[in-house]
Amino acid sequence: MAGEGIYFDGRSAKARIVSVIEDGLMLSFQGEDTPQQRWSIKGLHPIDPPSPGQPYRLSHEDYPSQRLVIRDGELVARLVARSPHLKGGYSLRDIGHLLGWTVGGLAACAGLAYVALTLLPQPLAAMMPAGWRERTGLQMETAMAGSSKRCATPEGEHAIGTLLANLAEGTPDMPPVSVHVYDIPVLNAFAVNGGRIIVTSKLIAQADAPEELAGVLAHEIGHVAHHHPEAQSLRLAGMEILSSVISGSNGGSFASNVALLATVLRHSRAAESEADAYAEDMLTHASIDTQGMKRFFEKVLKLEGGSKPEANSTLAEIGNIFATHPGTEERIKQIKPLPPGVTPKPAMPDSEWRALKKICA
Amino acid sequence: MDSPNPAALPAPQKLTFSYVRRPGLLKITLINLVFNLLTFSIYRFWGKTNVRRHIWSCVHINGEPLEYTGTGMELFKGFLFVFGLIILPFILLSAFLQAAYGQQSPAAGAVSGLFFLFVYVMFGYAIYKARRYQLTRTLWRGIRGDLVGSAMTYSLVYFGSMLAKGASLGWATPVMNTVLHEQITNEMRFGDAAFKFKGRAGPLYPTYALCWVLSFLALIGAAVGISVAIYWMQQNFPDLGSKHVSGHTILVIAMLLLLFIGYMLIIPALWAIYSAKQMRVFADYTRFDGAQFRLKATAGSIIWMTVANLLILIFTLGIGWPFIQQRVYRYVIDRLSLEGAIDLERIAQSARAIPRRGEGLADAFDVSAW
Repeated sequence: MAGEGIYFDGRSAKARIVSVIEDGLMLSFQGEDTPQQRWSIKGLHPIDPPSPGQPYRLSHEDYPSQRLVIRDGELVARLVARSPHLKGGYSLRDIGHLLGWTVGGLAACAGLAYVALTLLPQPLAAMMPAGWRERTGLQMETAMAGSSKRCATPEGEHAIGTLLANLAEGTPDMPPVSVHVYDIPVLNAFAVNGGRIIVTSKLIAQADAPEELAGVLAHEIGHVAHHHPEAQSLRLAGMEILSSVISGSNGGSFASNVALLATVLRHSRAAESEADAYAEDMLTHASIDTQGMKRFFEKVLKLEGGSKPEANSTLAEIGNIFATHPGTEERIKQIKPLPPGVTPKPAMPDSEWRALKKICA
Repeated sequence: MDSPNPAALPAPQKLTFSYVRRPGLLKITLINLVFNLLTFSIYRFWGKTNVRRHIWSCVHINGEPLEYTGTGMELFKGFLFVFGLIILPFILLSAFLQAAYGQQSPAAGAVSGLFFLFVYVMFGYAIYKARRYQLTRTLWRGIRGDLVGSAMTYSLVYFGSMLAKGASLGWATPVMNTVLHEQITNEMRFGDAAFKFKGRAGPLYPTYALCWVLSFLALIGAAVGISVAIYWMQQNFPDLGSKHVSGHTILVIAMLLLLFIGYMLIIPALWAIYSAKQMRVFADYTRFDGAQFRLKATAGSIIWMTVANLLILIFTLGIGWPFIQQRVYRYVIDRLSLEGAIDLERIAQSARAIPRRGEGLADAFDVSAW
């Protein structure tokens, strides 16, 4: 078949009129000022699918800068009928390729996410220098407390000191912690970086015996000892890096991260179990009745009905120390009593307990 | 389709522009939507490329369409290059500072500050590079375009123009826009043929002054209107601060809102007068190979196009973006003409090397050049 075409040689804008002949294998064309060219049909590439009103334009893989334009509709129709790849546009194969790349890319992302969010944070947290923990911990405590008043009376502080000293008995490698009480009407306790433990006034008010508070603190010290808060903040950093990688921008604000940390990243069940186990050991070694912890946890579970408390501070949004986790009741059941033969000692003297209860008065 | 071939007319010839729509854009749009969702938007480079290929191919000059030869992979490489060299180090540094010194540390603040300064200084660079990439990927009659100047120089001028516009409360805008447009246009090539831009900003000033004064008056009007409404409200409905909301309060708030929306619509509409003027004047200042450009832009048509584009954007939830782009190109192509004949046969391909990847910074900064 034959027809007329326009040839652009890619070196000048001159349009050269050529006569085109197609023999099934080769497309050859020549004109007045164009010596004969032979393009293999296989190597032809349509710039766009044929479309009425549009010139049909071809390039060739061996001559990527040259163009052959065919306006003869019949010739185009016959060309395309004989060689379907000249139809251009999306083919099922293109879409298949796309899907393949997409699935591969998603798998790579998932692998990266696993490394950044699951594999790395815990070991890295253990290696975090003390100075980093301190500085970030202070900022997290400030951000979480928000505008709430910090409760501190000399007697109350002393009572906390006594309780911590009693807990440390039998656990000589207990990490250094600081326990601060804030006037927040939400029942919660939370450990942040640098061994900082935040306890709410409502938690103090709801505790009926010092052993109950001792259990909560032992649990939080467990988080501190396992570097869970540091791991969480690293996980958050990892999430930010990942989200920037995916969105291709600089993730935006690093400012509101504490809230993000609080809402997005609760401790995993494994972390909670680790903290529970640590607390149980600690209480046992200190001869403090573990049933205080158990009682208190059960009380809270009942009180909160497993629901989220009304959110009025960052601390409230974190979710309760345990009530928001599925399987909480299982965990509570696993708290064993002191081994036979160990006589429970009081967690602190009554006078100090009364002073502590009044810390926010 | 058997009509005589306009491309084969003897040179020199007059050039005419037309936008010839063809089907396929909807399919591209839908495929983009699906794959952008599946790939967390990484597909955007390929999607953008397909949209450009379609739109370019609808722009006909003397019956011969433009051809976009860029690829998604080139854009993706440009993205990876900028991301790996600039964005990722910044993110890692920020994350490190955050972990070591906390979020409110001065070091983290300084790094963020430096990054934003960098963005501002490099904004013009991103625009220039993106335009150069697009021009080198635009083919007509087998010949590609180019920008032959320095992106860094343009970027410094651009940065200076932003400062000057701000410092002069906007009054430097016509001068700065003319300077910027002059620089980029004079460095623009089609093959070895050059575009020329020559003209002063003076003729833009009456229109600029009109728009400036009118929007200043609109601002004062809005401020007075809102103050009066608030005063009136306080006098008549002292219960406003309380939790009890009366029907009157809702009415007044609705009025305030209407006032505000009206203001937000009036300001861009006013400035469309200047945009149209600037487009016409800049076209008049531009020549290609001795031929003179004309662009019949009017404020009314710009407003109409903008409103329609906004409606498309809103009602398609942004998915209709390719159609908006098409409308913008059509707007210009339908109104653009070139007075005078050009000897096309003389125009030869440029020997300059073309960039291998594109638009990394523009993508990172979210610049849409053109």
